[in-house]
Amino acid sequence: MLQTIAFYLFATLVVASAVMVIMSRNPVHSVLWLILSFFNAAGLMVLVGAEFIAMLLVIVYVGAVAVLFLFVVMMLDIDFASMRAGFVRNAPLGIAIALVLLAELVLGIGAYRAGALILGTPDGTAAPLLFESNIESIGALLYSRYLFLFESAGIILLVAMIGAIVLTHRERPAAHRRAHQDIGKQVRRNPKEATFNASPEIGKGIDL
Amino acid sequence: MVDLSQYLPILIFLGIALALSCLFVFLPMGVSRLTGSHNPTAEKLSEYECGFPAFEDPRSQFDVNFYLIAILFIIFDLEAAFLFPWAVSLDLTGWPGWITMMIFLFELIVGFAYAWKKGALEWE
Repeated sequence: MLQTIAFYLFATLVVASAVMVIMSRNPVHSVLWLILSFFNAAGLMVLVGAEFIAMLLVIVYVGAVAVLFLFVVMMLDIDFASMRAGFVRNAPLGIAIALVLLAELVLGIGAYRAGALILGTPDGTAAPLLFESNIESIGALLYSRYLFLFESAGIILLVAMIGAIVLTHRERPAAHRRAHQDIGKQVRRNPKEATFNASPEIGKGIDL
Repeated sequence: MVDLSQYLPILIFLGIALALSCLFVFLPMGVSRLTGSHNPTAEKLSEYECGFPAFEDPRSQFDVNFYLIAILFIIFDLEAAFLFPWAVSLDLTGWPGWITMMIFLFELIVGFAYAWKKGALEWE
């Protein structure tokens, strides 16, 4: 009973906020609706028993990808009103893409109904877990059988990091660079060469 | 089906957070409304010399360095996400699993060293 109520609550909110993503006029509001949608999708994942996926949705999608979307939206200087102007001209292309997506959905649901998948069944009950919890099963498979894929994921992350640095990092000219603290130079300082306090008598100078 | 009762603490925390944030927002408004005189004019509501307009387009351009920091954050965030299943399943995967993760961490440390050397983490 509680599960059913929670499912309909989360599912309704996912669909409603996804509709608001494409309906809201302000792109920043769209991103905020997208974040709400991610949160509710995480709730749905908890309901089907995939706690790890739910956690990843909150940490990675809400925490990082949504922030990145906000950055993209704020950085691109696009006049969204003028982009909407070509609606009639681009309508055939949009309808064609929508039809392709619809065909994919129908195919996907058909394949799911045919029962070829053994991971889950249409009534929502999942296949029994290998180990005690979901996250443990994922770990047991990911770090033994799918080890190579995991390491290639690491390589892809490395490439992404280097690519981001190469694309967006720019060297400031040396004149604009802030003075740099050299700790080694400070430690190597000799007290004899440093400034010292002297109180010479009147009429006498000091040796430097 | 999942036993939802184990998520009750999270729900309670969410409720407390919601109540506290509502309190922080609406209590000062209510108190100031009840204790002071309330007759706003257009001039009173406008920003003062050093203020900035309260309502403007939220889209504004800023330094591309923020973007680089965000990308690096996502990558290390994902790396941390991979650590969770590894940590709980270490008794099942044993030494191969441990070495796997060390290689993965090494790959990212190479990237980290590169970012550090290039000065991508320095803010100017």
